[in-house]
Amino acid sequence: MTLHMENLFIQLLIVIMFLAAVFLHVVKKNSTAAFLYCAQSSAMALILLIASIEAGSRPLLFVALATFVVKTLTAPLFFAHLIRRHQLKFSASTYLNVPLTLIAVAALTALTHSHVFASLTALGDGREGMLSLALAMMLISLFLIVNRKGAISQMIGILSLENSIVAFAVFAGLEQASGLQMGIMFDILVWVVVATVFTSMMYKQFGSLDVTAMRRLKE
Amino acid sequence: MQIVFIPALSPLALGVIRKIKAAFQNRKGASVLQPYRDIWKLLHKDEVISSDASWVFRFAPLAVFSITLVVGASVPVFASFLANDVTSDILVIVYLMASATFFVALAGMDTGSAFGGFGSSREVTVAALAEGGLILSLLTVALMSGTSNVFAIAQTISSADLASLLPAFFAFAGFFVVLLAENKRFPFDNPSTHLELTMIHEAMILEYSGKRLALIEWASANKLMIFIALGANLFFPWGIAHDAGVMAIAFAIIAFAAKALALCMSVAVVESTIAKLRFFRLPDLLFVSFILSVIAIGLI
Amino acid sequence: MTDIILSSYGFFALIASFALGAVGALALRKSDALANAWSSVFAVLGSAWGIAYALSAFGAVRAPEYVIETSSLFPLLSVSFSVDKLSAFFIFIISLIALLCSIYGAGYVKHFYKKYNIGSLGFFYNFFIAGMLLVVSAANALVFLIAWEIMSVASYFLVVYERNDHRNVRAGFLYFVMTHIGTAFILLSFLLMYKFTGSFQFETIAANIASIPPFAANAVFLLALAGFGTKAGIIPLHIWLPDAHPAAPSHVSALMSGVMIKTGIYMMIKIFLDVFTDVPLWWGLMVLVVGAVSSLLGVLYALTEHDLKRLLAYHSIENIGIILLGLGSAMVFSSEGMLPLATLGVVAALFHTLNHATFKSLLFLSAGAVVSSTHTRNIEEYGGLIKRMPQTAFFFLIGSMAISALPPFNGFFSEWLTFQALFGGILSLPGAASWIFVLAVGALALTGGLALACFVKAVGAVFLARPRSEEALHAKEASFSMRTGMAVLALLALAFGVFSGSVSSTIGKVVRDIGAFGATELPLAASSLQQISVQNSFASASAPAITMMFLVAACVAALVLRAVYPKQKIVVGETWDCGTSPTPRAEITATAFSRSIIMIFKGILKPTKQTGIEYRDATARYFPKTRTITLGIHDVYRTYLYEPLQVALTKFSERVKTIQSGNINAYVLYIFVALLVLLAYVIF
Repeated sequence: MTLHMENLFIQLLIVIMFLAAVFLHVVKKNSTAAFLYCAQSSAMALILLIASIEAGSRPLLFVALATFVVKTLTAPLFFAHLIRRHQLKFSASTYLNVPLTLIAVAALTALTHSHVFASLTALGDGREGMLSLALAMMLISLFLIVNRKGAISQMIGILSLENSIVAFAVFAGLEQASGLQMGIMFDILVWVVVATVFTSMMYKQFGSLDVTAMRRLKE
Repeated sequence: MQIVFIPALSPLALGVIRKIKAAFQNRKGASVLQPYRDIWKLLHKDEVISSDASWVFRFAPLAVFSITLVVGASVPVFASFLANDVTSDILVIVYLMASATFFVALAGMDTGSAFGGFGSSREVTVAALAEGGLILSLLTVALMSGTSNVFAIAQTISSADLASLLPAFFAFAGFFVVLLAENKRFPFDNPSTHLELTMIHEAMILEYSGKRLALIEWASANKLMIFIALGANLFFPWGIAHDAGVMAIAFAIIAFAAKALALCMSVAVVESTIAKLRFFRLPDLLFVSFILSVIAIGLI
Repeated sequence: MTDIILSSYGFFALIASFALGAVGALALRKSDALANAWSSVFAVLGSAWGIAYALSAFGAVRAPEYVIETSSLFPLLSVSFSVDKLSAFFIFIISLIALLCSIYGAGYVKHFYKKYNIGSLGFFYNFFIAGMLLVVSAANALVFLIAWEIMSVASYFLVVYERNDHRNVRAGFLYFVMTHIGTAFILLSFLLMYKFTGSFQFETIAANIASIPPFAANAVFLLALAGFGTKAGIIPLHIWLPDAHPAAPSHVSALMSGVMIKTGIYMMIKIFLDVFTDVPLWWGLMVLVVGAVSSLLGVLYALTEHDLKRLLAYHSIENIGIILLGLGSAMVFSSEGMLPLATLGVVAALFHTLNHATFKSLLFLSAGAVVSSTHTRNIEEYGGLIKRMPQTAFFFLIGSMAISALPPFNGFFSEWLTFQALFGGILSLPGAASWIFVLAVGALALTGGLALACFVKAVGAVFLARPRSEEALHAKEASFSMRTGMAVLALLALAFGVFSGSVSSTIGKVVRDIGAFGATELPLAASSLQQISVQNSFASASAPAITMMFLVAACVAALVLRAVYPKQKIVVGETWDCGTSPTPRAEITATAFSRSIIMIFKGILKPTKQTGIEYRDATARYFPKTRTITLGIHDVYRTYLYEPLQVALTKFSERVKTIQSGNINAYVLYIFVALLVLLAYVIF
């Protein structure tokens, strides 16, 4: 794909996404986490927009707009509503303390940039760096889910995982694939469902969104 | 003709054994023909049958007696040319005798008396354990002669040379133990005891009287005679008639009488010198018989 | 005519008849009598058709094969059935016994009206028989496994049919677990064969048998022996048998014990002699030893039982041991190249299969009649039933004589043939192998004697003497259909014995069809007078001659007796009991009867005895009020083999359980690590 024109700008966008993922590990307030997610999604939407303009394909434009609307506009509203209703100001503690978390993040990034994943990143010819960043983002988001105990953080982790997968697909040259576009649309749909239904259900059932309280899943 | 030979002579064998035992005990003893008189007496007596008994009780003596007749016709007594291809197989003989035991044991349980019950229990225990020794000892001579037809075995062994007969002696030792066991002789059972708690065979037939008792007594005499005939003619078959000449048959009858007498004497000697063993020691003795036969097979 | 029967319509009709019976019975479940009638009619029709089918397949020149093409959907699974002579023989046995059990069942099932659902009984019963028929005709390992499962699951539901008794439910569960363990072994052996020969079709496997390396072949042997042995009930994989067979309704127990365990034997013959045509010596010796041990231990445990149906179940184990003696000797001969003797061994094994199916079903059916009439399975509560149920008693007596191998019934002749095969081994085999045969002969002889003892106990304690309980006092004779089923089986037991010559030559034809043997000459000849002679008259016997001689002798003796003292008076009196009136407590009980043998074999059986005493006056302990003696037999296999296994498995499971912590983070961590590892693996 010809994304070479605004190469610098694209790189900036991906760096924003990556940094958002990293900072998610560090923040303590849920609202900050939501804000970071919002930033990440905007960057994602911009990338998709540029790609659609480049390719001149309408479906892609539609997808980009949809992403923008749902993830960047509606998301913060939703999270704010959630936080206010359930008084979740601060996300619960993590398993590893902050220095160790950052070391783990760094290790994961190093891993993806190493030769271990060389063959994978070779997919994107000329854009290995961006692909490995996308890959690193995936692993970091997964790690966020593992590390955090609050359900909001875990949700955001999943959502940033989605973003990173989309980014990876875009940079690997797949954005034209209808599969990707449908995947993104589906993913947005799931977002909506998860966000509204499950969260309220979880809270009703367990009385809190702290996942460690959800030990007795059978009841 | 052989079918009447065994029933005719079996009470005589019983009488001989009793006479020899009496001699050991320094008595004159009853005449050797006494068992015939006993059977005659019983045949002319009335019977009492238990109200608890069923047709098994009534039928068993006849069944047992007929089985001994059939087996009697199938074993070589004085002639090996009276060969019989259909019922003279060693396994057929062993299992026909087992059928006889089956019916007598059932009859013992039929009347519901305590003695009959435990008599049957002990009898089938001894019979079950003796069967192994019996089959293996007969198998030894069968393997030695390449056939399991008892007539043919007698024929073959009588013409074999003495050196190869060592396994037959071991097998005979095992067979003799089984003979004592199956015919309620010492050290397994005392045939003349009147103490019910020491009986095995007698206990099963306590309720019989009259003709049925006569049949049962005669049948056990037949069984003894059959075992004597097997012992004499399978393991030491010299003198047996190979053809139908009159001289040969006469000689064979005399030879058989001599061997039978020798066997009766050994039974009597054993009865007079060894005490009856405690019941739970009998399996050891039967196991010895089994081992002797196994050794015999190994020596072939 | 035979063409129509043997066509695929004929085969389809066979299975369809049972399927119809099953579905119809379920549909009619609201009405007990209708469901029973429907299921019985279709079972009888199906079985009769099965007998006709088997007889025609037997005479066919080429084995009929039926293939349903599904290779487009499932490439590995080709639904194909092939009925060679061995399968035809087993179909004959299954259909014959199913026919008689269904006739019996029509009357027997009336005992379950209003208590349990008759429709589901009919449903599972018909599926059970259909499953068995499919098992012996499957030509593809996967089809075989599907049919095997149908058979096992249907029989599970039949075992737990009387679910109000929790022991039946437990027995069913044990059966279910054990049969699936067996199936796991079987599956492994099939997979191994598939790996090396590339196909699940038995024919293809047999053709490519040389491509299985010896190590894998040994593994296949051990797995198949364990798997099919679990179904057949060899020691020590037998623990389900004594619990499951008594728990099922009696006509089902007869089918399970008489026929279902034989399907294990069928597959063993098929795999060891038909698919693997060249077997190593130790395989045959191992089967022989397993057979000898199973037969001895089976009969010893049978002697300890006073539950009538458990006693019969242990005897099934014993007879499977005897069948394996024949099979093992055949395998040994086959590996030493002595093919004629090998065919003799298989003829003995197959004949005993037929005979055992006959007399074991007869015994179970009569036991069922007794149990349903007295509502208890405990032998100690029977007694005197010969006066109240004379025909059942007679049939049970015939069954006992057959199973104790008394001539002229069929059991004697198949054991005779087994003995001949073993004798042949002693004569012709070198060294150590012939010693194993000698010991096998000893084991078989001892088994025969102990079986006789056990059945004297069974017949005596159940039917003879005085009734020991109220139910026995008021027992009623079985219904007509039940008696018909039993009568025909008794007749067959006698007929298979008297005509053993023709039966064994017919079986010889079956054996020659098996892969390992080709057109070997049978060392067995049967004259027109039914005289069987083996190996150029090493041994010969003739059933009709024995019977005729016996009858003649009996008649002559009876006549002579009558003539001697014609005016004899017979008086009926009380049994002499030293002057007291005999009560039922004076009789010997089943437990006491076998106590001597149990004490003799106490090293193997490990009986336990506990005594308790209660005094009239606890301080001055002079006069006892009651004494209690509790005699027990320890189930050695449960304690020393299965329970340690179960404890180890449970401990291991508890350890593994800690992975499931309930913590979401932990789960995602597992996913994360797995993802990293997999990515690394793929990339490297």
